[in-house]
Amino acid sequence: MIEARDVSVAIGGKRIVTNVDFAARPGEIAAIVGPNGSGKTTFLKALSGDLPFSGTVDINGRDLSVMKPVEAATARAVLPQATTLSFPFTVREVVRLGLVGGRSGVLPGEDDRLPERALARVDLDGFAGRFYQELSGGEQQRVQLARVLCQVWAPVLDGKPRYLFLDEPVSSLDIKHQLIIMNIARDFARRGGGVIAILHDLNLTAMYADRIFVMHRGRLAADGSPQEVLSDDLIEKVFDCRLRVGVLPAANMPFVLPQSAA
Amino acid sequence: MVDQSIAGVAGKVAAEGDRSGRARLVILLLCVVLALSMFLSLTSGASDASAVGVIRDWLTGTVPRDAALGARDRLIVYDIRMPRVLLGVLIGAALAVSGAVMQGLFRNPLADPGLIGVSAGSSLGAVAVIVLGTTWLAPLTLALGSLALPLAAFCGGLAVTLVLYRVATRQGRTSVATMLLAGIALAALAMALTGILIFMADDRQLRDLTFWQLGSLGGATWPKIASIGPIIVLALAAMPFLARGLNALALGEATAGHLGIPVQRLKYTAIVGVSAAVGASVAVSGGIGFVGIVVPHLLRLLIGPDNRYLLPASALLGASMLLLADAVARVIVAPAELPIGIVTAIAGAPFFLWILLRKRGVVDL
Repeated sequence: MIEARDVSVAIGGKRIVTNVDFAARPGEIAAIVGPNGSGKTTFLKALSGDLPFSGTVDINGRDLSVMKPVEAATARAVLPQATTLSFPFTVREVVRLGLVGGRSGVLPGEDDRLPERALARVDLDGFAGRFYQELSGGEQQRVQLARVLCQVWAPVLDGKPRYLFLDEPVSSLDIKHQLIIMNIARDFARRGGGVIAILHDLNLTAMYADRIFVMHRGRLAADGSPQEVLSDDLIEKVFDCRLRVGVLPAANMPFVLPQSAA
Repeated sequence: MVDQSIAGVAGKVAAEGDRSGRARLVILLLCVVLALSMFLSLTSGASDASAVGVIRDWLTGTVPRDAALGARDRLIVYDIRMPRVLLGVLIGAALAVSGAVMQGLFRNPLADPGLIGVSAGSSLGAVAVIVLGTTWLAPLTLALGSLALPLAAFCGGLAVTLVLYRVATRQGRTSVATMLLAGIALAALAMALTGILIFMADDRQLRDLTFWQLGSLGGATWPKIASIGPIIVLALAAMPFLARGLNALALGEATAGHLGIPVQRLKYTAIVGVSAAVGASVAVSGGIGFVGIVVPHLLRLLIGPDNRYLLPASALLGASMLLLADAVARVIVAPAELPIGIVTAIAGAPFFLWILLRKRGVVDL
């Protein structure tokens, strides 16, 4: 379990995140939603150990602030919003970087085939020999996810759950690949790992999240199951937008929901 | 096309996108190239001394027929050519690997110790010891002996690198424009201070300084190798431990940390290692430019940017190329010799322009 208590983050004297309590359990997808600038990414960066913060963060009962980089790398993998690369690495070489510090958890000797397996999972079969810098934004994002999956390939290692931190993992993907990526996250959770994902699409969030944390102006505005959290009032308060939950559009207006996926 | 033929020679079917097999083969070939370059360098020169004869006599224990001629040849081969070849290998390897490490550290293929002022900082340190070694800095030179010069050069290079890194890197992203411009500013400052020292120098020091600044392997002696050899070997030996970390750093500092790399320690090890290697090189042979940018760039085209292979390959190719440049420097105006820094600049500067013209492989400026 990942537990954050009373976490605050200030950047350059400005409070970005204020007194957030948060928990992500193994076996579940915890979604963080909120408007732009509400502190979602900053909070995830604090959880990842990138930014100094006040309060405490425990990963599987161990204090994050005393964990060595390699220890943290074994416990969790982080997918940033976008990753630029400074040298012409091939896709396979990028994915293999996932194995650089942590432990994938597969049998020794199987590591060598892991990049291909990870690429197949994110629907990038046959991309191994391409140059990363020549791919589209959505393809690059999936390559990075394959790298992240290599790092924590086994959702449970030595009896301890491991975690995926995903910052807007589907932001630049088409609908097919949004579903593929969210299914990978769900599968990771079902096999005993934990997932923390920042999402923007409320329908996708309702469909996949076990628990939703809503952030608003750096504070936690609500948390709970999708049924508890996604209400007309909360959406109006947080997103400043009068929307109604569960209302169908007029009969002649087409709409497409991810929930209808076969 | 070169790529394909080399992959064909490798014969083994590698996973798509996996260039490690080809990289190993290239490294093997580079070992052969270096051995040939060393042999060529040892056997060629202004005198007709036969290195092959000397080595054969030494191996078989034969005493040469003409004792005087034999002694002369031995002197030329052992005390002039051999230290020069070794110095070329050490410095070529040091400069090329330093370039590759610096490029990995700054996440930019244009970073080079010569271009961004590290060498100028080292020069300042070295010139300070040469000019002030008998006056203001006398206690230092007395205490450190032959180590004073490389140590001063190391400190100068280290100071420039640290300032540069502070100025050019914000939140793990290095701005290339800032890096190059800050490098120019620091180099100008270092050169101005060097100028003041030159102004203070006497005639004999002036002549020494002029030749030294142009860059040359000409002053190679065994004592010099003994003083800088260990520094360079130590710095080079530390570099392979950085390779995996530098690879991860290509994804950015935060991501490298997420992958389990102790980023802070990696950065400081790299900066100290590069400053030591460049400082030691500059102390002995002056400013030899462009090796650090040309060699890693060529190799990246051939085997890709994986530092596990790029660093050793850079050492081998850097050593070979410097020996080659030195051979050119010795032959082209024989019996005089051209400073090697001029040769590397004439070959390297157009190459650098060519890199700028090519789009791929160069990150946005």
